[in-house]
Amino acid sequence: MRKLSLLGAALAAALAAGALAVTLGFGSSHREAPLSSLDPTGDDTDLYAFTAPDAPGSLTLVANWIPFEDPAGGPNFYRFDDRAAYYLNIDNTGDGQADVRYRFKFRTRVRNPNSFLYALPGVTGIGDSKLNVVQTYSVTRERYRNGREVSSRQVASGLPVAPNNVGPKTIPNYDAVAAQAIRTVRGGGKVFAGQADDPFFVDLGTAFDAINIRNGTGNAGGGKDDLAGYNVHSIVLQVPEAQVTRDARPVAAANAANAVVGVWASTERETVSVTGRGGSRRARTEEVQVSRLGNPLVNEVVIPLGQKDKFNATEPKDDLKNFGKYVLSPELAKVMNVLFPGVNAPTTNRTDIVQALLTGIPGLTQIRAGAPPTDTLKINLGTAPSPSPKRFGVLAGDTQGFPNGRRLADDVTDIELRVIAGFLKGNKVPLGDGVDQNDKPFRATFPYVAPPAAGFDSQLKRTEPAHAPTPADPAGV
Amino acid sequence: MSMRLLSRLLPVALAAFAVTLAVLALGRDGSGEGRAGRPAALPQALAPRASTDERIRVLQDTVRAAPTRAAGYTLLADAYLQKVRESGDASFYARAQQAVDRALRLDPGDAGALTQRGSLALARHDFRAGLRDARRARALAPDVNKPFGVLVDALLELGRYRDAGRALQAMVDRRPDLAAYARVSYFRELHGDLDGAVAAMRLAAGAGGEVPESDAYVRTLLGGLELQRGRVGAARHEYRRALLSVPGYPAAQAGLARVDVARGDLGGAISRLRRVVDRLPLPEHVIALGEAELAAGRPAAARRDLALVRAEQRLLGRSGVNTDVELAIFEADHGRPQRAIALARRAWTAARSVRSADALGWALTRAGRPRAALPWARRALALGSRDPSFLYHAGIAARDAGHRAQARACLRRAVAGRAALSALNGPRAVRALDALR
Repeated sequence: MRKLSLLGAALAAALAAGALAVTLGFGSSHREAPLSSLDPTGDDTDLYAFTAPDAPGSLTLVANWIPFEDPAGGPNFYRFDDRAAYYLNIDNTGDGQADVRYRFKFRTRVRNPNSFLYALPGVTGIGDSKLNVVQTYSVTRERYRNGREVSSRQVASGLPVAPNNVGPKTIPNYDAVAAQAIRTVRGGGKVFAGQADDPFFVDLGTAFDAINIRNGTGNAGGGKDDLAGYNVHSIVLQVPEAQVTRDARPVAAANAANAVVGVWASTERETVSVTGRGGSRRARTEEVQVSRLGNPLVNEVVIPLGQKDKFNATEPKDDLKNFGKYVLSPELAKVMNVLFPGVNAPTTNRTDIVQALLTGIPGLTQIRAGAPPTDTLKINLGTAPSPSPKRFGVLAGDTQGFPNGRRLADDVTDIELRVIAGFLKGNKVPLGDGVDQNDKPFRATFPYVAPPAAGFDSQLKRTEPAHAPTPADPAGV
Repeated sequence: MSMRLLSRLLPVALAAFAVTLAVLALGRDGSGEGRAGRPAALPQALAPRASTDERIRVLQDTVRAAPTRAAGYTLLADAYLQKVRESGDASFYARAQQAVDRALRLDPGDAGALTQRGSLALARHDFRAGLRDARRARALAPDVNKPFGVLVDALLELGRYRDAGRALQAMVDRRPDLAAYARVSYFRELHGDLDGAVAAMRLAAGAGGEVPESDAYVRTLLGGLELQRGRVGAARHEYRRALLSVPGYPAAQAGLARVDVARGDLGGAISRLRRVVDRLPLPEHVIALGEAELAAGRPAAARRDLALVRAEQRLLGRSGVNTDVELAIFEADHGRPQRAIALARRAWTAARSVRSADALGWALTRAGRPRAALPWARRALALGSRDPSFLYHAGIAARDAGHRAQARACLRRAVAGRAALSALNGPRAVRALDALR
């Protein structure tokens, strides 16, 4: 289950809840698993793409898995799935097919299989043998042309995953240990994988009460960040622009022909032959895509109920064929009109949303003229990092923000609410969820995400302080 | 149930919360019902760490506020089912049924509601109804994966193993995840491939990412497989690991009780099982307790506890749960074999599975008709199952029918997995084998 925008959750979840949250009688009555419908290691929860101020010639990607890692409970052994392959995909030709893929494969080793401990107290380094459960990974860079793989090169291997932050007795100087997980990549660039603070921020609980056109619309703080204090597992990759552009050259300016790329995260897992002998139509070790994520919105706004599974199994190149007819009349706009009378969100012909997210905004995030609609997060690598970023991104005139890529601090929830209400069509409504920022500050240097909370000092549900209402037009906020 | 387990319901709670929005705002035809005001305080109870009780309360409010929307009732039914799982209180099945029936009256074509109703049917062991609903959900929503789980489970329980295998292969090919891998494990186990079952369950463990409740569930199943493989130490490791993830997880505690028995610590097993039964009085745990007491030479306590079983089965029956197979085995072991035969025949008519066949064979054996029992015992083993219980039953039937070599072969294999047998049947299998040598 991914983190979803406040209202965006409605659609995917309606399906998720209704169709998916079922009991599973695995044969006899004692084999019932309440939550097997979730796939924490397979479902991408968030994807960010931005030009970091301290790395202006590079593309930085942050992709997260395993939501709601509770630092205060559990044995804290969260880890990537060794049998999954995690991908960061880049389309630089605008056809919805990956031209460059970074493939992450993990391997877990338990030093002492008889021990249940994650680690003995006093871990001082990432290679410390006191760490009992150790996960390492490799990174492979694959190049494709028209959907066919043309090269594959391992660019890193045997890298350590930053451990779970189990607590100050076990890992006294956690930040220093986790920093040892920052590694370089052959061909240039940096990489990090491991536990991190969940960078998403949203009020699921009380925002709904607070959002009322008459009494305040979530634009004045006061919301509770329901994801504050939770961790995730992140992959952070930073590579020179030339590694991802169409012509393998750096980007000279925002209007350069190679300036825009579309990115998405995906997860694949091996299928198996049920009998263990043969009999799968797919080859025994064939990988099946179990999820993908481009924009933090499309699967909720555009994809109707009953199609979410298909969305996860398909690729951006087929989005027009598979989901084209649903694009123009997003159900979420209708939801909004009922929930917030007076908003008057346009419910049909939402070419503005199509453009903002799927085809790209001409002159800003279009990979090429006439690019078909595909759910990839498009980023113009020629847009310089903003000296004073605005959380409302493009809506506030900060063209380096979402939907031109997505920075960690971009308030996607508020942006989405306003876009759905019709901001880009001139219908500006001061909506929001009352939560404006993450509970922890992001870092100015790689890997940018905040370090994970330890059980010892984690605090859940931060309340956003009240502030002066953010106007319907958030320029300058 | 631990708060940590409940807190892991957050994603489902989020889903539930979000669906309240859709429920309130949006009908299937896209028309929103004009609503004055806003739903008060709904999402607060679905914030992180909402318990099942809170979830139920909120969803009850939701359906009151939006009584014409199917989705809320579907969710409510699911919450009631979760309540049964956590508490063992089968009375919630009826409420779940009401809720999902309501959903389907409002929208007979709602694939999610059909899938939910199918799951409920399976939980009550009405496998044909489960199959019907799963098929219909598949037809209505061919792109949704969830009905596959219900479909596979129904086919397996109905004894349609080839169809189940095909459906399961389609399921795992569509999406290899915990739900699919765990079923692959079960399928392999049914066919006697214990090593393959363990391998598939380890895939499920990886897919679960060691999120506590997935972890506890998968580890407990792994423990059971290890017991069947005769690896008591490995089983103990898995059960203890499960309990680390979710302290007090009843199925893992029950597994540790089996480990106690295997190590000759009947007293330990009995106290452990009593704690399990106090918390989650499922018949299978009560039977395990009663049989441990019998093995420990405490017949009065055993009588008292085993008397509970019939009462519980009656309660379950009143809640619409079909317990024919379980009750047949119980009657064969501790009650009236004639009644066991009747129950098992009924179970076979309803579902021609290896479990029903095993129950009927055992009932006939205990009724003194081993020659009639033999074909049934053979059917139970036709897939190649290594279930020690099936093998023990088959061995005794063969022995009583005078087929000593066959008896020895079955009992030898039963004894190899005796850690997975009850405190009573484990030693009985050993003694029976010894007597045949």
